[in-house]
Amino acid sequence: MLLKLAWRNIWRNRRRSLIVFISIVIGAISILFLEGITNAFLNQMLFNQISLSTSHIQIHKNGFRDNKVIQNFVPSPDVVETILSTQSGVKAFSKRGITFGLLSSAENSSGIYLTGIEHNREGQISKVKSTIIDGHYLTGEKGEILLGKKLAEKLNVNIGDKVVGMANELDGSIGSDVFRLVGIFETENSEFDKTNIFINLNQFQSMLKIPGQVHEFAIVLNDHKSADEINEQIKNKLNNKAYEVLTYAELLPLLILQIDLSKESMFVVYFIVGLALIFGIINSMLMSVFERINELGILLAIGMKTTKIFGMILLESLLLGLFGTLIGSAVGGILITVLSDTGINLSLFADSLNSYGIGAILYPSVSYSELIGVLVTIPIVSIVGAIYPAVKAIKLQPVEAIRYI
Amino acid sequence: MEIIIAEKIEKIYQDNGVPVTALKDVDIIVNKGEFLVLAGRSGSGKTTLLNLFGALDNPTKGEIKFEKYHLAKMNKKELSELRLNKMGFIFQAYNLIPVLTAIENIEFSMMLLGIPEKTRRERALSLMKELEIDQLADKRPGEMSGGQQQRVSVARAIVNNPTVVLADEPTANLDSKTASNLLDLMQKMNEEKKITFIFATHDKQIMERAKRLVYLEDGRIKQD
Ligand SMILES: Nc1ncnc2c1ncn2[C@@H]1O[C@H](COP(=O)(O)OP(=O)(O)OP(=O)(O)O)[C@@H](O)[C@H]1O
Ligand SMILES: [Mg+2]
Repeated sequence: MLLKLAWRNIWRNRRRSLIVFISIVIGAISILFLEGITNAFLNQMLFNQISLSTSHIQIHKNGFRDNKVIQNFVPSPDVVETILSTQSGVKAFSKRGITFGLLSSAENSSGIYLTGIEHNREGQISKVKSTIIDGHYLTGEKGEILLGKKLAEKLNVNIGDKVVGMANELDGSIGSDVFRLVGIFETENSEFDKTNIFINLNQFQSMLKIPGQVHEFAIVLNDHKSADEINEQIKNKLNNKAYEVLTYAELLPLLILQIDLSKESMFVVYFIVGLALIFGIINSMLMSVFERINELGILLAIGMKTTKIFGMILLESLLLGLFGTLIGSAVGGILITVLSDTGINLSLFADSLNSYGIGAILYPSVSYSELIGVLVTIPIVSIVGAIYPAVKAIKLQPVEAIRYI
Repeated sequence: MEIIIAEKIEKIYQDNGVPVTALKDVDIIVNKGEFLVLAGRSGSGKTTLLNLFGALDNPTKGEIKFEKYHLAKMNKKELSELRLNKMGFIFQAYNLIPVLTAIENIEFSMMLLGIPEKTRRERALSLMKELEIDQLADKRPGEMSGGQQQRVSVARAIVNNPTVVLADEPTANLDSKTASNLLDLMQKMNEEKKITFIFATHDKQIMERAKRLVYLEDGRIKQD
């Protein structure tokens, strides 16, 4: 009956309740939407980084990441390869030779990361293959080279043109080779496109006179969530301090930190929305209490306990908050579900997004825990907002309340 | 049997710092089954005394005993429990909760007592039949006339079988015919159910029906 009473009281002043209701709906939608966009941004940054080059797990010689010299190749690559080909949960892996070098055309030259890849395996690891905008991917033919669009422009070369690559050999002398541009790629990450070039692994090895040696194993898993577990298993199987086996989270600590920070900073959004809502609720519940002073006086007089009156007013606010949040979350949820499919096209800002390593289309998403966060927080906010008005209501003296005009 | 004993009651209000004596040296005993009218000119202290009986306010001096309870010794919660269990109230206006129907308004007092829903319904309905207002059951106060509202208020006031019903100007907003009908009803309840009624009013009709008339003047009992 108290519930019935609270529910009907909400409908007494429809306009005022509607305003509070709508602001709660908007509050819920905006939190969900902001959360969705933030997630889209962060997930895409992480996903792009993983699918461009990081993969889920990498194996190096211990020390390679600090000192990327050609000497630091992975010990006994055959052993590693055998372990990986029998490891469960591994979708694909690929060997890479990596060194720093110089690439020159007839007109210009540029410092680059020279990466030798297995053309038949790397396609499953990195999405560079799918970003070829001109020419074709590596096929294993001698002399093939892939360049990013930005670099090709800088060197002013086109498909079929010759370029010369140079890098240090083991003994410090310069190894070099002539390549013919077969493909140009363009990813969402302009920095990557400027500095990374790809050649066939066997040519990398022969040019630098390190037959059979590689610097990196890049591994993609069936499920990225199992990275930690599989990482441990590989480590145990290798059982050798000479190797360094790292997950993407360990390889991209700054990005992971940024993701964690951004998620935590969502509380600022909660705080601002909550604050705006709470003042609206206090205001409207206070008005609602003042409008019924006589009635509250009668309720006190006939013996309704102050705790019940307190509860009734909190209940009114909670009902509004609950329904507002439900509707807001439903609308927000549907909006995000639709957008997670179609994406939000931000081509207008594509250039600045590309420098973050993000494509022009964002796919927002929210997790269940984030949804529950909204569903719990806003009703709590509406209860908190009703406390002060409810205190006002129970401080009324029945005699004065009944006399009140 | 004595149900209310008031001794040496004094009530002084502070009106913006100025003390206003509303009651002075009031001694009165109310017995069970009385149909008592507090009369007197406006400002004579009728409402003040009624509110003291109803434990809605405390006297500045003196003591009020309701049955075996010393009102001054009870806290807010106990007083509201006492009002719920033992007293019924009828005010001049705004008696009913506007968002509840007539029957729900009557049930409300029983709900506060924790009476289960089914019993509530039955009791409210049979009382409404008895008072011949059952056709109003599903109407909200806004859809009822003043007289109808006051009849529902009477039902609400007596549904928990109180010892006493305190009525402050219950007929003030009614025409004399409607007022007379309402008074018939209350008289009937007084006679049949032995419910004590105490009125504060200057309505001649009520005074004529009084079994006992207490006349107040400037906060003192002038005539009993
Ligand atoms: N809350 C209050 N604050 C200050 N003065 C009050 C208060 N309530 C009543 N009074 C004063 O106390 C005196 C008695 O008031 P009371 O309401 O009891 O009179 P009454 O006999 O019921 O009058 P009426 O017939 O007009 O209802 C009056 O002088 C009134 O102004
Ligand atoms: Mg009065």
